[in-house]
Amino acid sequence: MSNTADMRTAYGRTLTDIGRTNPDVVVLGADTTSSLKTAGFGKEFPDRFFNVGIAEANMVSVAAGLAISGKIPFASTYAIFLPGRAVDQIRNSIAYPTRGGRRGLNVKMVVSHGGLSVGADGGSHQQIEDIAIMRAIPNMRVLIPADAVAAEGLTRIMAAEYGPCYMRMARSPTPVVHPESAQFGGMSATLREGSDCTIIACGITVSMAMEAARILKADGIDASVIDMFSIKPIDTEVLEKAARSTGHIVTCEEHNIIGGMGSAVAETVSGAYPVPVSRIGVSDMFGESARDNQIQMLLEKHGITAINIANRAREIRKSR
Amino acid sequence: MKLNYCRTRQNVMRARRLVIRATTAAGSGHPGGSFSMGEIMGCLFNGHLRFDAGNPQWEDRDRLVLSKGHAAPGLFSNLAVAGYIDESELDTLRSLGSRLQGHPDLKCPGVEFCGGSLGIGLSFSIGVALAARLDGRDYHVYTIIGDGESNEGQIWEAAMTASKYNMDNITAILDRNFIQQDSYTEEVMPLDRRMEGDTPAEMWSDPSRWRTAEKWRSFGWNVIEIDGHRIEQIDAALKTARATKQVPTIIIARTIKGKSVEHMEDNPAWHGKAANPEMIPVIHEEIGAQFAIAPSIIAGDMGDLEGEVSRCAEGRADMIHMDVMDGKFVPNRTFDHVKLKQLRSVTEIPFDTHLMIADPVRHVRDYVEAGSDIVTVHAEECDRSSFGEIHDYLRENQVGVGIAVNPDTDMPSWSHGFIPTLDQVIIMSVIPGRSGQKYIESIHQKTAGIVSLLREHKFAGVVEADGGVNLENIGACFDDGARAFVGGSAIVGRDDVRAAIRGFRDAVIDARRKMLLSKAFEAGGAGLVSRWTSLHDIGAKGEKLAGMARESGYV
Repeated sequence: MSNTADMRTAYGRTLTDIGRTNPDVVVLGADTTSSLKTAGFGKEFPDRFFNVGIAEANMVSVAAGLAISGKIPFASTYAIFLPGRAVDQIRNSIAYPTRGGRRGLNVKMVVSHGGLSVGADGGSHQQIEDIAIMRAIPNMRVLIPADAVAAEGLTRIMAAEYGPCYMRMARSPTPVVHPESAQFGGMSATLREGSDCTIIACGITVSMAMEAARILKADGIDASVIDMFSIKPIDTEVLEKAARSTGHIVTCEEHNIIGGMGSAVAETVSGAYPVPVSRIGVSDMFGESARDNQIQMLLEKHGITAINIANRAREIRKSR
Repeated sequence: MKLNYCRTRQNVMRARRLVIRATTAAGSGHPGGSFSMGEIMGCLFNGHLRFDAGNPQWEDRDRLVLSKGHAAPGLFSNLAVAGYIDESELDTLRSLGSRLQGHPDLKCPGVEFCGGSLGIGLSFSIGVALAARLDGRDYHVYTIIGDGESNEGQIWEAAMTASKYNMDNITAILDRNFIQQDSYTEEVMPLDRRMEGDTPAEMWSDPSRWRTAEKWRSFGWNVIEIDGHRIEQIDAALKTARATKQVPTIIIARTIKGKSVEHMEDNPAWHGKAANPEMIPVIHEEIGAQFAIAPSIIAGDMGDLEGEVSRCAEGRADMIHMDVMDGKFVPNRTFDHVKLKQLRSVTEIPFDTHLMIADPVRHVRDYVEAGSDIVTVHAEECDRSSFGEIHDYLRENQVGVGIAVNPDTDMPSWSHGFIPTLDQVIIMSVIPGRSGQKYIESIHQKTAGIVSLLREHKFAGVVEADGGVNLENIGACFDDGARAFVGGSAIVGRDDVRAAIRGFRDAVIDARRKMLLSKAFEAGGAGLVSRWTSLHDIGAKGEKLAGMARESGYV
C-alpha cells in the first residue's frame, strides 16, 4: 500500500502558508485548535486567530460577522460539533445572507473526525449525517478530500473562491491517492479509467475503491474509479459519462446511506442517464467505539471495505 | 454628534406610525417589540449611528445589528425615516418579492444582519467588531437583543467572547420589555427573578429583584441601566458606552412592550399580531398624541434652584421648563445662562428654555452653550430676520426651535414661513413675568385657533400650554391641542412633586382617552367604540374606557 499522510497537518500547514500572503484570512477554533492543527496559524498570526472556547454556535456566528466585513474566516472543529450542533447558525448566519450577487457569506467550515473512522470516541462522536445536512442548505459547497494532497488543494481553492464551504476531513492519516501535482479546480478526479463499471468514493473510501478496482481487475473487470471530492456542486457531466459508458455505478462512503454522497450521485444519475446505482454506506444506524486497530473492523461491520465494493460491482453486473 | 431632542421625538412618532402602517398592510408582524425599542432606535438614528443613507455600504459606517429580528418593522420604519428606503415601501412588508422580509434581510439597504433565529446577533457583532479592529477602523457596532432572546445560551457564549476580546467597539442594548411570545419573561424563563403575581408591574416596582445587570457584570461587561423610553437617558448611556474602553458595554433599557398604544402596552397578546385595519385612525391619533409635563422651577425656591431641578428630576418630569427673565422684556429677573449651565450638571432631563428676554438674537448662543435642548423666544421680540438667524443657529446646533406668544399676541405673519420647521409653540395663558397667576380662560379658544393655523402650515412640533395650568384645566388644554404642559405652582409649588406630575399625567391620559373615543365614534360609530374599548384587556383600562364611552353617549 502507498504511504499515508494526515489531512489535518496538511490543512494547518496550508492555512499558515495562505495566511502569509492573504492578510484577510482569519482562523477560528473551539478548543480543538491543537487537534485541527490550526494552532500554528495562531502562533504566527495571533491577531487573526480566535479561540472562542467550546461554543460552536458562537464560533460560526462570529465567523459570519468577520466574513460580512471582508475577512475570509476558516472555522474548524470536529464534524460532530459543527453541522451536528450549529446547523441553525450555519444556515441563518452564513448560508442565508445574500447581497448583490454574493450568495451566502464567505465562511469556510473545515472539520475533522468525519464518519465512523473516528473510532474510539464512539457513536456519539461519529458524524454520519453531515453531508446530508450540509448539502441540503442552499448556497453551501460541500467538499471531502481523500488525502493530504486533496486537503491542501481544496484549502487553497476555498481561500481563493467566494462562498460558504464545508470541508470534511478524516481523523486518521489516509493513504495518499493523488499525485503531488493533482489539481482540484474541478468537482471530481477520475483516478482510474475503466469500461466495465464505475466506482465512486469520497474521503477515506477512495483508497478502498482503488483496491476494489485491483481486485476486480484480477477477475477481468475493468473499473473506473472517481474521487467525488465535491459533493456539492456535483460533477453532473462526469456522472452522466460514467453512467453511459459503464452502465452501472457503485458508491461507497462513511456516512449514513440516507442523504450522503451516494444519494447525491443517485439523484443526479436518475435525472441525467438512469442506470443502477448501488450505494454502500452506514445502513441508517449509529456507530460505536473501535480502537485504532479495530477501525477497519468497524468499517467492515458496515460493509465499508474494498472487498464489499468489489462484490457489489460483481452482483450488479450479474443482475443485468 | 449632539442629539436633537425634538427631532428625535418626532421621528420616533413617525416611525411608530409606519410600524402600524406596515404590519397592518401585511396582516401580521410584531408591533409590540418594535414599539418597546422605539426610542432606542430613534436615539441611534438621530445622533449616534454614523451612517449615510445614500451610501449604505460606506465602509466606516457604524453597524446596527437587530438581533431580536422579529422587531423588523421597527427597523424598517427607521430606515425609511432615515432615508434608506421610501416610506411607501413599508406597504410591501412581508409581501412576495419585497425587500422588506418578515425578518431583517440584507435585501433591504441599511440592514446589516439577517435576523430571525434568536441568539445569533451578538456573536455576529463580535465578528464585525473584530474585523474593524483588524482593519484599524473606528466604526462601532450597536446590537439590540431581546429579553426573551436572552433565554438562548448563545447570548452568554457571546457575552464571554466579547469580554475575552475586550470588545469596546460593541454596545449591546437589551430591550427589557418583560414580555416574550408565550407570556411575561419572568414567568417563562426569569432573567431577574420568578414572578409571584400575574402582572409584570411587580418587577419594576422592586429594583431589589433585578438580577440581569449582575449577570452581565459577572460576565465582565460594563452595565448601564436606564428607562428605555427616556430619550435623554438613552442618549447619555450611548455616549458613555462609546467612550468606555477595554470592556464591552450593555445598556439594559427597561421598556414597555407596545409602548405608546395603550391597548398594546404590557400586553403579551401584541407580541406578534397586527392591528385590525379599522383601528388605524384611532391608533394613528394615539401615537401622535404623546405629551410632556414640564415643571417650571421658578415656582419653587429661587434660592435653591439646584434643589428644585432635583425635585423635578426625582418627580420624573419629561422636561424642565426654564423661565429666563431679564427685567427688560418682563419686569422681573430670574436667572441667566450662567445659572442654567450650573443647573445642567444636576440632571440629563431636557431643558425647555423659555427666553422671556429682550433682543433674544443677541443671547441665544449663550443658552445653547449652557445646554438647552429647546430654546423658545418671544415673537414680540423678533422679526423675520432676527428670528431667521435664531432659527438657523438653533437647528445647526441640534437644539429645538420655539416661538412664544403672549396672551394678547397672535402668531405674527412673518412666523408662518417658519412653522414647518418649528419644534415648539408656547402659548402664554398668563401675563409673563411671575409665577402663580390664574389661567386666562379666553386662551382656550385662542389655542384652538393657533393649532388649526399651525396644522395648515404643516407644523410637526408641539404646542405648549404655559401659565396657570393645573389639574382642573389641563384636560381642556389638551383638548385645545396642547401636548406639552408647563406646571408652575401646581407642580413645583407642591411638597410631593412626583405625585403632582403623576396627577397631571393621569389627567392628560383621561383627556386623551376621551379624544380617542370620539375619534373611534367618528370613524366607526358605537360598534368601533366598543370594539376598541374591549381591546384594552390588561388592568382596569377597559372598564374605565367603557364608563367614559357611556358617559359621552357613544354606546
